Amino acid sequence: MARTGSALAITVLLLAAGPVLGAELEFYMTVDRDKVGTEDTFKCEIVVSNAPEGAVVQFPTPQDFEVLSRSESTQMSYSMGSGGMAQIRQIRKFTLVMRANRAGHLTIPAAGLQTAARTYKSDAIKLEVVPGRLAPDPRSQPKPPPNPFGLPPGFPFADDDDFPGAQPGSNPFDDEPGIPKSDSDLFLRSSLDRPEVFVGEQVTLSLLIYSRMDLMGVDSVTMPKLEGFLAQDIASPTNLQPEERSVGGVRYRAYLLRSKALFPLKPGDIDIEAAEADIASGVYPFSQRKMHRKSNALSLKVKPLPAGATNVGKWRLSSTTNSTDIALGEPVQLKVILEGRGNLKAVTLPKLEAPPSFRVFDPQQTEKSQITKNQVGGQRTTEYVLVPQQTGRFEVPGLTLEYFDPESQQIERTATDPITVVVRPSNTGANAMAAPANNGTQTEPAARNQLVGGGLKSLRHTATFSEPRKSFWSVAAFLPLAIAPLALSLVLAVVSFVRARAGQEDEQSKKNKQAKAARKRLAQAEKLAGGGSTVEFYAEVDKALRSFLEARLSQNVTGLTRPQLDEVMKSANVSEAVRGRVLGVFETCDLGRYAPGMGDASARQRALEDAVHAMEVWP
Amino acid sequence: MIALTLSLVLAYTDQEARSLFTEANDAYYRQEYPAAIEKYQRLVAAGQGGPDVLFNLGSAHLAANELGPAVLYLTRASRLSHDDDIAAQLAVAQQRQLDQVIGAQETEPFLQRLARAVDDRLVTIGFLVSWWLAFVLLVVFFRSPSGRRTVLGLATLIVFVIAIALGGVVGVHAWVTTSVQEAVVMVPTAPARQFPGENAKIAFEVHAGLLVRVMEDTGRYLRIRLPNALEGWVEKTNVTPL
Repeated sequence: MARTGSALAITVLLLAAGPVLGAELEFYMTVDRDKVGTEDTFKCEIVVSNAPEGAVVQFPTPQDFEVLSRSESTQMSYSMGSGGMAQIRQIRKFTLVMRANRAGHLTIPAAGLQTAARTYKSDAIKLEVVPGRLAPDPRSQPKPPPNPFGLPPGFPFADDDDFPGAQPGSNPFDDEPGIPKSDSDLFLRSSLDRPEVFVGEQVTLSLLIYSRMDLMGVDSVTMPKLEGFLAQDIASPTNLQPEERSVGGVRYRAYLLRSKALFPLKPGDIDIEAAEADIASGVYPFSQRKMHRKSNALSLKVKPLPAGATNVGKWRLSSTTNSTDIALGEPVQLKVILEGRGNLKAVTLPKLEAPPSFRVFDPQQTEKSQITKNQVGGQRTTEYVLVPQQTGRFEVPGLTLEYFDPESQQIERTATDPITVVVRPSNTGANAMAAPANNGTQTEPAARNQLVGGGLKSLRHTATFSEPRKSFWSVAAFLPLAIAPLALSLVLAVVSFVRARAGQEDEQSKKNKQAKAARKRLAQAEKLAGGGSTVEFYAEVDKALRSFLEARLSQNVTGLTRPQLDEVMKSANVSEAVRGRVLGVFETCDLGRYAPGMGDASARQRALEDAVHAMEVWP
Repeated sequence: MIALTLSLVLAYTDQEARSLFTEANDAYYRQEYPAAIEKYQRLVAAGQGGPDVLFNLGSAHLAANELGPAVLYLTRASRLSHDDDIAAQLAVAQQRQLDQVIGAQETEPFLQRLARAVDDRLVTIGFLVSWWLAFVLLVVFFRSPSGRRTVLGLATLIVFVIAIALGGVVGVHAWVTTSVQEAVVMVPTAPARQFPGENAKIAFEVHAGLLVRVMEDTGRYLRIRLPNALEGWVEKTNVTPL
């Protein structure tokens, strides 16, 4: 603390019979810091001790500073001096809350004390002023006493006075509002109860009026567009209730205008625009005055949720049933209750996986929202109706909800217990069967044990552990087996063809052999040409020539007349000359066997030569 | 060859295979599906995965809601054995499948249905027998006297017609098996691009369990065709051939 000023000693003679005022007059001026920001406020104290009657303090009138408030306090002290003289000391202290108008090395002018005798002056004070705001002096930050009865943070529905941010303005995140330079008597301030949150975690936005004036009311409030948030009203008071607060040493009355719970929808830095309000001040109707004020803008850092987290808050699941031992067809009512803190509407419950033998009707939901100490929460009751379709003992599995708890910053889990339901056969069926069938009485049909098909088939319990076989056509032997009959047939055809060709050659040789035999026979006849029977000779020549013709013509020519023989030779394309020669030989033979004079040797020789010639010229 | 050698080396005895099969079934009923799948897979890897093992393996994947492998193994089982259980299990898998192919043919093309419907082993043997018989009758026909040839020729003709018909079915089966390559989408979501490449625009997406036909293979990408003739290129790693 800087202390300046001169201590002036004035000795005053005191009355002998009583106490006297202190003889020394002190007058000085101090400030609570040497360096401030342009947005900081600081205190300047002017202290006057033992001032004479009628003394007037002349406050400094600095150009570079704004005096936001001024207060005065008086203190009296009584002490025994030397020689048993009692002394009374009076100290008057003037406190000015000031703020610099600009940055630089500025000077607070000296204050003055005007007495009847003279004028006293304090020293001027030099201050270093920097732009913006400096950290508050820890000396001026009183620590609140710890709360020995507070519940630990995170306890459901705990007294939220223990949580930071439960009360606007009373938590470490609630930034002390700066006093605007132009509207220091009345201004609007927005604040968040924490600087950063997770996606889906609640952050509370508060809008307050700070005033040193008398307020009549607020005509209108325009809240910023809260894009990127799910918003829920916490407080929107119709009657303004003041609360005394000190801002930078200046006392204000703070009025809460709006309080909203915000749930960020996506990660990142989100800006919140300024709110606006039209405020009426003064005393109706004489000094009424309407003023428009705009609050500060805000920025919030939203952190992403860890992977796999969808629900955010602090939740607890529980369940109840009306009965767990029922008859077939009777419904089971299962209530699942979700309660806790957070955005209840955003919480998604897992689907109830009831056994297939239960028919599950669409659940009915009721929600009850609760705001406890500015924390939004509530209770959701989901009522399922399950109707068993089969008898037996079934287990309805419990529901498990996973959620991200921003306080522990971990994914937590809450679950209901599984419920075992025993379904007995309904006795309605027995009653129905006992009723006469023809009395016209309508009875409710008995609930039946329904055995529904479908679902996955049962596994195989016997198996053949063989390699899946290949297609038979892909086996290497398939193609040869398929081609083989075709190939064999072709071979057979070729063999037959060859053999047929070979058969044709035999015919030719047969013909040749026959012709050869015919010539041999002619040679036999030649032996008869010299002597022997004439008839036998010509008969032998005739046979030889006919054998030759049968070989050549491949046709039996025995018994054919000469015209018929001529016709056969003609059809075999034998030339006319050859035909004439052959027929001539046959005629000679006929003549030789039946006509006289043909038996001599020359005639036989001529006949023989004609036959040989006919064979030789045969084509 | 290496796989064959390994399978021969790793093959279980019949007793071991039956024991492993029972263990896998027990794990299935305890709803320990990954353990059941692992044991069935060991049998398949050892070359002992017949239609029964494939059916159980596909069912375990289906119970674990792994549609891609479920459809793959159940379809493989159905190709080996025409069984109502396999068809019912496949129907359940197809009900869970996400993709609805609009404008798809309700049934497979005729030739594919024919190939699926017949027992290729039976048809192939029938073809070979009738084919051989027809040629024998033909030889006999040519060797026989002319008086007996009418009946014999008619019988030969009938057998030839039967043999050629069966041969046609065998040919269809071979063509479908070698030419019609099918695959199953194994990943939850597989983008199908307009052309093979990372920068290609995604034409549509297919999801686990969809049966597609493979039309072309470029190495990293496959051109797939859906039953409604919609085509796209997917990464090879996203599908498994049947």
